[in-house]
Amino acid sequence: MPPLDKRIKKFLKNSIRVAPKISNKGELAELRSGLVSQYPQTRKDAIKKTIQQMTLGKDVSSLFPDVLKNIATNDVEQKKLVYLYVMNYAETHPELCILAVNTFVTDAQDPNPLIRCMSIRTMSMIRVDKILEYVEIPLRRTLQDDNPYVRKTAVICVAKLFQLNKELCIELGVLEDLVCALDDNNPMVVANATASLSEINAMDPTVVSLLDLIQSHVSQFLLALNECTEWARITILGALAEYTARDCVEAQEIIDRVTAHLQHVNPAVVLSSVKVIIKNLVQIEPESKRIVMTKLSSALVSIMSTPPEMQYVALRNIRIILEKYPTLLTKEARIFYVKFNDPLYVKLEKIDILVRLVDPTNLKQCSVLMRELKEYAMEFEPEFVSRAIQGLAQLAIKCGDVKFVSKTFEILLDLLESQEALKNDCCIAVCDLLRHAVGNEKLATDACQLLSTWPVNETLLLSDSAKCNYVWLMGQYPNKFDELQDKLLCFIENFVEEEPLTQTSILVTVVRLHSKLPGSVLQNVLELATNQIQELDVRDMAIIYWRCLSMPNSDQLIAELCSSVSPQIENTLHTFTSDVLEKLLTEISSVSSIYFKPQFDGPRGAVRHHNVVRGRHIDELKDLAKNELARKANDDVLLDFDDDEEDLVSPRSSMAGGRAQSHMDDLDTLFDFGTSSSSQNNGNDNIDKGVADLNLGQAEQQQNQQQQTQTQSKINSNTQDLLDLF
Amino acid sequence: MGNFFSSMFDRLWGVNKELRILILGLDGAGKTTILYRLQIGEVVTTKPTIGFNVETLSYKNLKLNVWDLGGQTSIRPYWRCYYADTAAVIFVVDSTDKDRMATAAKELHLMLQEEELQDSALLVFANKQDQPGALTASEVSKELNLVELKDRSWSIVASSAVKGEGITEGLDWLIDVVKEEQL
Repeated sequence: MPPLDKRIKKFLKNSIRVAPKISNKGELAELRSGLVSQYPQTRKDAIKKTIQQMTLGKDVSSLFPDVLKNIATNDVEQKKLVYLYVMNYAETHPELCILAVNTFVTDAQDPNPLIRCMSIRTMSMIRVDKILEYVEIPLRRTLQDDNPYVRKTAVICVAKLFQLNKELCIELGVLEDLVCALDDNNPMVVANATASLSEINAMDPTVVSLLDLIQSHVSQFLLALNECTEWARITILGALAEYTARDCVEAQEIIDRVTAHLQHVNPAVVLSSVKVIIKNLVQIEPESKRIVMTKLSSALVSIMSTPPEMQYVALRNIRIILEKYPTLLTKEARIFYVKFNDPLYVKLEKIDILVRLVDPTNLKQCSVLMRELKEYAMEFEPEFVSRAIQGLAQLAIKCGDVKFVSKTFEILLDLLESQEALKNDCCIAVCDLLRHAVGNEKLATDACQLLSTWPVNETLLLSDSAKCNYVWLMGQYPNKFDELQDKLLCFIENFVEEEPLTQTSILVTVVRLHSKLPGSVLQNVLELATNQIQELDVRDMAIIYWRCLSMPNSDQLIAELCSSVSPQIENTLHTFTSDVLEKLLTEISSVSSIYFKPQFDGPRGAVRHHNVVRGRHIDELKDLAKNELARKANDDVLLDFDDDEEDLVSPRSSMAGGRAQSHMDDLDTLFDFGTSSSSQNNGNDNIDKGVADLNLGQAEQQQNQQQQTQTQSKINSNTQDLLDLF
Repeated sequence: MGNFFSSMFDRLWGVNKELRILILGLDGAGKTTILYRLQIGEVVTTKPTIGFNVETLSYKNLKLNVWDLGGQTSIRPYWRCYYADTAAVIFVVDSTDKDRMATAAKELHLMLQEEELQDSALLVFANKQDQPGALTASEVSKELNLVELKDRSWSIVASSAVKGEGITEGLDWLIDVVKEEQL
């Protein structure tokens, strides 16, 4: 213990805060003087102020060297602040980052595990090649650290390193360390290592064989599951879901272990457990299957008491599960009834689930639901009401009972009469029912009676599909409509302005009824459709009809086409194809389960390319900074800066006039990349998205062109300077 | 005004200012070794410094804040970031490296031209005297053109960081000069 006066002195020195000098040089100068102050507390205050400015979006990057000086301290808080600053500006000032390397390496050996962890985390977060060169020793050291807190961070850093520089990561051999971390005695480390490995596997499946690793570590995972935090559990459950059990005994064991987590308070854990269970459910005995199903359904029900956002996610996932196991939640229908204070998006999903989960053979349940939906149809939110009406039709078709259908029909007609605004949706629903109940003359007569009284010229039917259905109805039951010709002519008048569905429908109806219409109508419509419509489907259809009509035995052909009876529709609920369903079931509780779009198989090429672009962008910035410094310092030494970097693939554009050719090559590769990534994207998704991607690709190309011109001008302006310097 | 009060305050409580000392020199001259020789009195195995090391050490009742900056070509431009408030500069030269003596001289004179370093004292260590073929202090002095330096207290000391020779002598001289000038 030092003597009292010394302690007092030390205390005073540490707590002195110098009042900021009011200078006319501005805020930055003020901050700078604070940062280099001799009093630690003042320096710390200045760092805080700098970071405050940084978060406000002001550019305080010019203070980088001064802030960096404060990195050497024992104060964890101050260190953290400086790290925060370094991380934020590392990308714009890559060249200055190397000044911090030594500190990072030293900090990775600090006695304080917090600092060790912080240093390795920050180091791997800085996306600068220069830093990565020095990451080896600290990373290796922290991977073998005594403290699990440091180890669990280090294993994540391996994945980060892999993303930034795959070759380096493989060369360093840290992947072997990562695999060893799966055997760690700390569950957190195991979980993070799993997460890290699956990230790496997603980036490049050839490097590690994740499936084999999971297979050999299943027992470890099951053991670790009970001891780790919720997020770690989700990771481990995710890994377990990748694994296919060898036999029914093992599947049963996995299910038994995982079932306990269905009670977890975090819905993500619950959904992940559901995923694992569903994966193994197919393998176990039918006897125990029933018990597991009960547990599953109660778990899913329990998520319905979470906040609406989570309910929504749960509902989307339930919809997938229901398609595989339709009877899973039949008894729990009541839980999914819409509450008055549910947000709209939850309400809509609930209606969908309700219609799906009812047992079509249980007439009583169906009628209860029908009454419920009828209530919903009386509500005021238009989207909700239209979904409810759609639900009514779907329910009736799913149930299929004749009486039930006619009852639903009555409800729809009632609704139609009570409220004008529902005409669109009721029209669609009624037509759906008629398509289901083919040959039910009574229904058709009632429907046409009501619908034919509508004045067409008024803007009653707004939506495309409603108009389409109305026109279809006219074509289907022409005898039941009064003033059919006027109505149809009314539609034909607006033919060009209509949307594609209606256009197609008009076209079909006119062809069907051409014998009942004046001869010029058909000719007129066909001409309009072939000459004035941009929509390919409509045009092609018109051309085909025209061909048919101009064939020698056209009358017979047309009669055949028109009199064909469309099959009865059994189900209007949207379903997945079987392979999509299987894929989605393995992706429960992920984003793809919410969008109903399975993940793209294969390497995430596009993502990696993106990073490369970023890297290049940084490089350009780096060059800019370098040139600026070069001009300022007028110091040739600076140009040696890049010498030890020669092996990197990065384009050092505008380094010298003599290398202009190589820049052009670099730019060409950039250019190529633009097109290749867009084509990859195309393969990535369905066609309609492909069109958007094409645009994206074009934009990218344009950008590249811009870059090219920029760099060219840069080369011109800098060549002279640089040649002088050389 | 604030400065006046704070300096008053310092004297009143006898709180000593920390003296900022920079250790500079080409790469591989032995800067980091000298720093840790000063701090813990031992020879540590070093790797090339990318960035800087900073240590605080007490020497003769003075607090020294010693910054050892990396000497790589790529880092040298950033030395300037550290010049502010520097009481003294220790420039370390590898006495065996005759080829790069000219580079060292250029770096040294370039550095000394800086505005912020006009008042700081200069101590040159002609390091690695333990190795064969090392130039003597006077030879190094000649190579570095030290005689040209006017208006500055400077000194050159032959040293060997590995053996610990000459380091304390050099520092003693430096502290005396700095004390005179600063306090």
